[in-house]
Amino acid sequence: MPLLSILKYLAILVWSGFVMAPLTWALTTSFKTANGVTSGPTYLPWIGYEPSLAGWRSLFGGAGGIDIVRPYLNSVIVTGSASLISIVLGTLAAYGLSRFSYRTGFVKNADIVFFFISQRIMPPIVLAIPFFLMLQFLDLLDTRLGLVLVYIALLLPIAVWIMVDFFDGVPRQIDEMAMLDGCTPFEAFRRVVLPNSLSGILVAAMFCLIFGWNDFFFAFTLTFTDTQLLPVAIVSLNSSVTPWWSLSASALISVAPLIVIAIVVERLLSRGTLAGAIR
Amino acid sequence: MATIHLEQVGHSYGSAVYALEKTDILFEDGKTYALLGPSGCGKTTMLNVISGLLYPSDGRVIVGGKDVTRMPTAKRNIAQVFQFPVIYQSKTVYENLAFPLRCRGWDKARIAPRVAEIAELLGLTARLGQSARRLTADEKQLVSLGRGLVRNDVSALLMDEPLTVIDPHMKFDLRRRIKQASDKTRHTVVYVTHDQNEAMTFADEVLVMSAGRVVQRGTPQQLFESPCNRYVGNFIGSPGMNFLSVERDGDRLLWQGFPVFSDERVGRLAPGAELMVGIRPEHVAFAKDGVTGIPAVVQGVQHHGNVDVIDAVIGSERLKVKARSSLAVRDGPLRIVLPVERTRLYVDGTLLF
Repeated sequence: MPLLSILKYLAILVWSGFVMAPLTWALTTSFKTANGVTSGPTYLPWIGYEPSLAGWRSLFGGAGGIDIVRPYLNSVIVTGSASLISIVLGTLAAYGLSRFSYRTGFVKNADIVFFFISQRIMPPIVLAIPFFLMLQFLDLLDTRLGLVLVYIALLLPIAVWIMVDFFDGVPRQIDEMAMLDGCTPFEAFRRVVLPNSLSGILVAAMFCLIFGWNDFFFAFTLTFTDTQLLPVAIVSLNSSVTPWWSLSASALISVAPLIVIAIVVERLLSRGTLAGAIR
Repeated sequence: MATIHLEQVGHSYGSAVYALEKTDILFEDGKTYALLGPSGCGKTTMLNVISGLLYPSDGRVIVGGKDVTRMPTAKRNIAQVFQFPVIYQSKTVYENLAFPLRCRGWDKARIAPRVAEIAELLGLTARLGQSARRLTADEKQLVSLGRGLVRNDVSALLMDEPLTVIDPHMKFDLRRRIKQASDKTRHTVVYVTHDQNEAMTFADEVLVMSAGRVVQRGTPQQLFESPCNRYVGNFIGSPGMNFLSVERDGDRLLWQGFPVFSDERVGRLAPGAELMVGIRPEHVAFAKDGVTGIPAVVQGVQHHGNVDVIDAVIGSERLKVKARSSLAVRDGPLRIVLPVERTRLYVDGTLLF
């Protein structure tokens, strides 16, 4: 094997170790008990420490733990539907902003795009009180619908931002050609531009899912007990003695969907079938 | 297939300058037209106005007797091919070619043979099942062309320098195929190009454009023999027409003291006008006897295959002459003749006769 490839694989190996270490650490810790955690770094079950399912049991209604299934489902539903709606609306809005000129007084396309993005400039705390009051007024506090609405407000700007940028990179001639071929403007979008834009949509969807899934602040401020989301449920695990084993198990279980998404997106993009190049 | 009439059509992209000056232009049914002119002269703007990608700021667009000025592109039934290949990446070559037909609601049984026919014409048959993304730039442009040609019921076929990105050795062949296809369907074809050879060989009629205006339209022969002004004379032909400053002497025109033109109309010209005669380098002849004609000195001969482009100096002026290589013209003195039937008179830059 030539020296260069040896070095390449060596570098990949080092980097993999770097990436895998925390996950491995969390994995071993999740099977440990208090004794196993405090007796120094050990990695091999039965040899280094006595494995136990206590950490995992505490996530599924075990003693002193929580039931993670409901918050998990809540998170999946809220993040999933908010992301889906944001992607659909965001893609449509972005296409319009990329292709048509709007003008209301001094407000033009660029201003509208900035208006979307500006929603994410403020620190979340600024939004917390208005959101709380609005949901209270609508009687949607501590409900999944309320959270979905709030998350759409948070995720839509991301979707619009990414998709405007993407559509701006798709030559107008594609739309024009489709219209010459007999499509109405909307058909041109649906039948030609959209199938060409899956990579952009995929990336935008990934960002929406990640941001939605990881939000703690709004999930915490806008819910009480009925509609807990995963991050909030995990925090409630913490007590006077930190249950490292339960926290490790919950960390793994909450990062799992993101890893799956990252792998799927990476696969699809690298397969090239979704490559965005037009010419 | 239809006649296209631009009635007082003009377009400005929002500034006071018109990209396309208001004009009346008629494209007759079933003829092939070439729009010829440098970049930015309004050729593409005119095409987009016809196809409806652009609504003109002035005038009316009449296609087949119908006012389509504000009609959306999809309803106009016009095919257009752009300068750079536009293909639908997510579709196969077959789906790309079939797309215009599917959009127009053709049924499958009719689409398949038609697509096969066009693929055959363009040499794409072997590629039909492939993803359009994987084609070379040449092949992509062929697919674009194919989508333009596939509908045989279009009102007009507009082509915007479709061969720019095509390999030079394929250009000739493709031009022939396009001509073949359009002759067969008898489409009204408007072909934009800045390549005069393309325009001259391809079109029934050529429209020379400059700065948003059609400067002259006519058959390739008319443009070559009687360019209406110095711009067209210089633009058409390679090298362009010779324009020689002349002085009036009664009914005669003198160039460097030698009579080159004589007509009773010359005597009636208003004084003070700038007078020039134009003559094509191809039309300049040599005096065989060595006595008649205008004495010149050859200062440089460029060989272009079987013709030579000769740089001749007469007094203070230079003249380009195109002659067969077999004449073997060399640097040195020579006597030239400007055939009077090939000589045109330009007054203040515009053709008089």
